[in-house]
Amino acid sequence: MLAEQDAFEAERQARLVKAVYVYEAPLRLWHWVNALAITVLAITGYFIGQPLPSVPGEASANFLMGYIRFAHFAAAYIFAVGFLGRIYWALVGNHHARQIFLVPIWSAKWWGEVLYELRWYLFLVSEPKKYVGHNPLAQLMMFLFFTIGAVYMICTGFALYGEGLGEGSWASSMFGWVITAVGGNSLQVHSFHRLGMWVTVSFVIVHVYAAIREDIMSRQSLISTMVSGWRMFKD
Amino acid sequence: MGSYETQGFKLDNTGKRVVVDPVTRIEGHMRVEVNLDADNVIRNAVSTGTMWRGLEVILKGRDPRDAWAFTERICGVCTGTHALTSVRAVEDALKIDIPENANSIRNIMQLALQLHDHLVHFYHLHALDWVDVVSALKADPKATSALAQSISNWPNSSPGYFRDIQNRLKKFVESGQLGPFMNGYWGNPAYKLPPEANLMAVTHYLEALDFQKEIVKIHTIFGGKNPHPNWLVGGMPCAINVHDTGAVGAINMERLNHVSYIIDRCIEFVDQVYVPDLTAIAGFYKDWLHGGGISSLSVMSYGDIPDRANDYSASNLMLPRGAIINGDLSKIHEIDLRDPDQVQEFVTHSWYSYPDETKGLHPWDGITEPNFVLGKNTKGTKTRIESLDEEGKYSWIKSPRWRGHAMEVGPLSRYIIGYVQNNPEFKEPTDKLLTDLGLPLQALFSTLGRTAARGLEASWAAHKMRYFFDKMIANIKAGDEATANVDKWDPSRWPAEAKGVGFTEAPRGALGHWIRIKDGKIDNYQAVVPTTWNGSPRDDKGQIGAFEASLMNTPVAKADEPLEILRTLHSFDPCLACSTH
Amino acid sequence: MTETFYDVLRRQGITRRSFLKFCSLTATSLGLGSAAAPQIAHALETRPRTPVLWLHGLECTCCSESFIRSAHPLAKDVVLSMLSLDYDDTLMAAAGHQAEAIIEEVKRKYKGNYILAVEGNPPLNEDGMYCIHGGRPFIEVLKETAADAKAIISWGSCASWGCVQAAKPNPTRATPVHKVIFDKPIIKVPGCPPIAEVMTGVVTYMLTFDRIPELDRQGRPKMFYGQRIHDKCYRRPHFDAGQFVEEWDDENARKGYCLYKVGCKGPTTYNACSTVRWNNGVSFPIQSGHGCIGCSEDGFWDKGSFYDRVTDIHQFGIEANADKIGATAAGVVGASVAAHAAVTALARARSTPGLDNKPQSGDK
Ligand code: HEM
Ligand code: HEM
Ligand code: NFV
Ligand code: SF4
Ligand code: SF4
Ligand code: F3S
Ligand SMILES: [Mg+2]
Repeated sequence: MLAEQDAFEAERQARLVKAVYVYEAPLRLWHWVNALAITVLAITGYFIGQPLPSVPGEASANFLMGYIRFAHFAAAYIFAVGFLGRIYWALVGNHHARQIFLVPIWSAKWWGEVLYELRWYLFLVSEPKKYVGHNPLAQLMMFLFFTIGAVYMICTGFALYGEGLGEGSWASSMFGWVITAVGGNSLQVHSFHRLGMWVTVSFVIVHVYAAIREDIMSRQSLISTMVSGWRMFKD
Repeated sequence: MGSYETQGFKLDNTGKRVVVDPVTRIEGHMRVEVNLDADNVIRNAVSTGTMWRGLEVILKGRDPRDAWAFTERICGVCTGTHALTSVRAVEDALKIDIPENANSIRNIMQLALQLHDHLVHFYHLHALDWVDVVSALKADPKATSALAQSISNWPNSSPGYFRDIQNRLKKFVESGQLGPFMNGYWGNPAYKLPPEANLMAVTHYLEALDFQKEIVKIHTIFGGKNPHPNWLVGGMPCAINVHDTGAVGAINMERLNHVSYIIDRCIEFVDQVYVPDLTAIAGFYKDWLHGGGISSLSVMSYGDIPDRANDYSASNLMLPRGAIINGDLSKIHEIDLRDPDQVQEFVTHSWYSYPDETKGLHPWDGITEPNFVLGKNTKGTKTRIESLDEEGKYSWIKSPRWRGHAMEVGPLSRYIIGYVQNNPEFKEPTDKLLTDLGLPLQALFSTLGRTAARGLEASWAAHKMRYFFDKMIANIKAGDEATANVDKWDPSRWPAEAKGVGFTEAPRGALGHWIRIKDGKIDNYQAVVPTTWNGSPRDDKGQIGAFEASLMNTPVAKADEPLEILRTLHSFDPCLACSTH
Repeated sequence: MTETFYDVLRRQGITRRSFLKFCSLTATSLGLGSAAAPQIAHALETRPRTPVLWLHGLECTCCSESFIRSAHPLAKDVVLSMLSLDYDDTLMAAAGHQAEAIIEEVKRKYKGNYILAVEGNPPLNEDGMYCIHGGRPFIEVLKETAADAKAIISWGSCASWGCVQAAKPNPTRATPVHKVIFDKPIIKVPGCPPIAEVMTGVVTYMLTFDRIPELDRQGRPKMFYGQRIHDKCYRRPHFDAGQFVEEWDDENARKGYCLYKVGCKGPTTYNACSTVRWNNGVSFPIQSGHGCIGCSEDGFWDKGSFYDRVTDIHQFGIEANADKIGATAAGVVGASVAAHAAVTALARARSTPGLDNKPQSGDK
């Protein structure tokens, strides 16, 4: 299992070099592009549903809503293509690249470590375990809220996008089923897509907090790892 | 079983039972059963609403500002009248005043509905009870032309015009595919019109079919579509802009001109076609004065068409308000829709249950709980009813009563009350029509009277549209373009609890919606609808409703052709979707 | 003499020449080759008008009302010349037994060749007795009539989706036609009601081309339901510009700005209102200042208030919209994170030396 292998790797290598190359360059690049895309998507998405106060002047002289929606769709394409690229990298990259796609839910040991990690966050144990990749709890969260979440946002998003392109368009043909699946009225898909935005926002809050906190508390590098790719261990 | 007396009628259900189901040329689903005595005279009548959708149940927990759209879908024939009643109920509960323009627009729309509904009823739902389509083929177009020109200066009246229509009709009949005229009661001895009058009436059937779609464009302009135009709590959604940039996106001069043009054409059509036809046809049926029912006993009207905005008192309402009971025309009772003892609904014979069914409930405390059980003397099975048992529950319509009385509502009731109040707008045209026909006042209390009052009211409504149009223009001229009041649009500005009642005079009669609002949501919503009044089954005391009463003592020419039954029922313009909702 | 489809076309002003052209086009489009054209012409010249049985379930009759508003073709011409409206409770002369006899006769004489038009829908609760027809549940009449029909037209949102009586809690279990009839082609013409000219447009298409219109994923004719109100709304430039009616009757309302913020459902509603418009093109909801309420969409009654852009979500058993649920969730998460950070800082302040002095990881 990945986690076991991680633990082994960490233990062996920690003593030797105190630094491990974890995140390869494409993954790091993807991470920051993805983060930016999601930020744009959440902000523009929010204003698509709750538009800004009306702008003055002639309609022909303004395109505010148009730009907001354009930014959303542009970021959406980047987000979606990036996600496809990320799947590709999971296949060809190092084993860390697979973590957020493959969760060892059949491993009792892994679940034990999820629990352990949970206890660490609840201040019940004084010291976290060391991991080269994601800790098991982070892995689980990444899988549930990011991987599944991204698929969900892409499916609902492109279903809505297909409405604009029209029936018969690639988006409508590939994702139109989403609208039928929720009962045929795409208003429902808007609501669900919007709800997904809030789930994403919640995930990002926790994610960023955890990254900063762990960076400080867990005696191993995190943020710099996502920049340089190297995981540094402080002891 | 057997017989008893109520409201001066002797009900006897021992004779031959005749069932008509479906009753057609009405809105919705209805059944009627009558007992005929040995002389084919109706001695017992049982009318049944045979559909229920549960709008009152569905409305619970919803946003009161949305209620108009739900209630509007109670009926697509009297479309809009429920919506208007609903926004009035919400405005009453939340104490929202509407702008003058909104009042004028609402009145114009309500009047357009009255006119449209009456016209379509007369020509397309009711006419075939009096007009023999097949006989029109035998008419001499020249004679028809002479007849038409003698009663009106409507331009479409040349012999050639009638000949063309007759030819088209002939071709249609010869095709062997009679369409909607298939299996009609053609040739029945109850038809009295000569062929010429039949041809004129059939021609106007087609002309009215073309014209009715013009009337509703008034709804389209102010409400965006018809059927089912849009309304708004606090006013109307159509903003007015006659002076500035962007006026093309609002009610502007072009839109107003369009409305004005339609109003003129409405006045023309109703005064040159509808009322003359009505008078002419009535002339041939002067002796057929059956069907009065309880119209000479108990009639009621809530009143409508407020002249100034936000004043719903009787003196500000252009349609009369009041109740007459026990046939005492000398006294008009005041109506208070908030009084728990006045309007009450019973369900003794309706397919609903109350905790205590010997009592009626005021709509603010109303309960709508379906309970489909059949009386023990029902013939057939639950899903194959041969004949109903009127001693048990037998209708999806509740039984509303006013101070315990079954009441008739509708144009005839409004005209009777207006007449008794000596209101010249109602009295003069009534007297004129009666004089033209050489009939006494008493003749009004009949099937014919109901049909006649509807025609007179259509004309009244058309002219009143002009009044409100001019009023609105004057108001805009005076600088007021407002159409909506948004002070209380936001539910956070509402009290935690509120209750209100809205009323209108719908085409078929007095309509009320009672609402209770709690924490911004509908807590209870009850509609008591014109056809609920008229079509009600018996109540706890065995009193019959207006439909049942009207059929009593009517002779039927041919027991297997229910022409007379249809004729009298149709004179109420029954709306079953409305009645049960 | 029987009036035929050809007579009708001639009366509509169609010349014999173009009639024959139409026949050869039909022949080629059916892959029959030009030799079949005369046969088709002959068939059309002698064919009687297609009978239509128009049944009413639980409804409000406004689909019928809408139908008679048709301006082109006029309802009068449709009924007298294009088809044979043999049964329609609202307009037919006959009642009771005589009316019921018509259904039997048409079923027998035109087996497999009549169109069944349904307005409204059957309720299934209480053995169907929330809608009674001739003493029997309407659902039985519907099934019997459908059995021998060539195709079914589901008029309006009632027959297509269920509409207002099927809104929660749907006390009668009102059920759209396609959920009770499975073995016939069904053409849904939704709307509450549908536009008159769309109704007659669908019918004349079927009669003229003798085929069922191309349907979309949900069974609606693509020609009228292929695009959203929003896609062709004349207020769209104001939407794109970011110019909205903020409040009823405000300056922006008087200038005809976009109604999105007051709840317009045009962006999620498939219908022809913004192009065909209503009552011979006079206006449509948005043009008259009220947002689209989505009346041609499945379940539009249960998607929250007509005046909210971000609408209620009922799936959670609570009535709150995505922003209320989401912002609350995000707020709770944010607050928890802040609290967690505070506790972390506190714990760290207390035990900093200890932490530094314990280098071993947990599982050693
Ligand atoms: C929209 C915002 C963001 C999203 C959606 C996001 C998403 C992700 C995902 C999916 C991963 C897993 C990478 C993988 O294994 O493939 C990840 C890792 C990581 N992210 Fe982010 N991220 C966001 C913003 C940030 C920010 C602002 C920071 C820094 C403050 C950050 C720091 C990290 C770190 C340190 C890791 C590596 C965690 C580890 O090594 O266990 N992320 N992020
Ligand atoms: C994390 C990813 C995403 C977030 C947070 C997000 C957020 C949002 C939000 C909040 C809305 C407004 C919903 C409403 O109130 O109607 C929205 C609308 C929309 N989103 Fe996304 N979205 C994401 C991804 C996508 C993707 C991948 C697509 C694909 C093209 C997409 C396409 C759309 C479309 C078409 C709309 C509707 C725009 C309109 O109605 O004008 N979104 N999005
Ligand atoms: N009864 C009734 Fe209505 C009317 N008029 C409504 O209030 O018809 Ni449909
Ligand atoms: S779809 Fe709407 S308009 Fe048609 S009958 Fe049903 S409620 Fe009426
Ligand atoms: S008014 Fe409605 S349909 Fe028109 S552009 Fe605005 S949101 Fe779209
Ligand atoms: S409410 Fe209905 S009528 Fe058209 S604009 Fe919307 S679909
Ligand atoms: Mg009621």
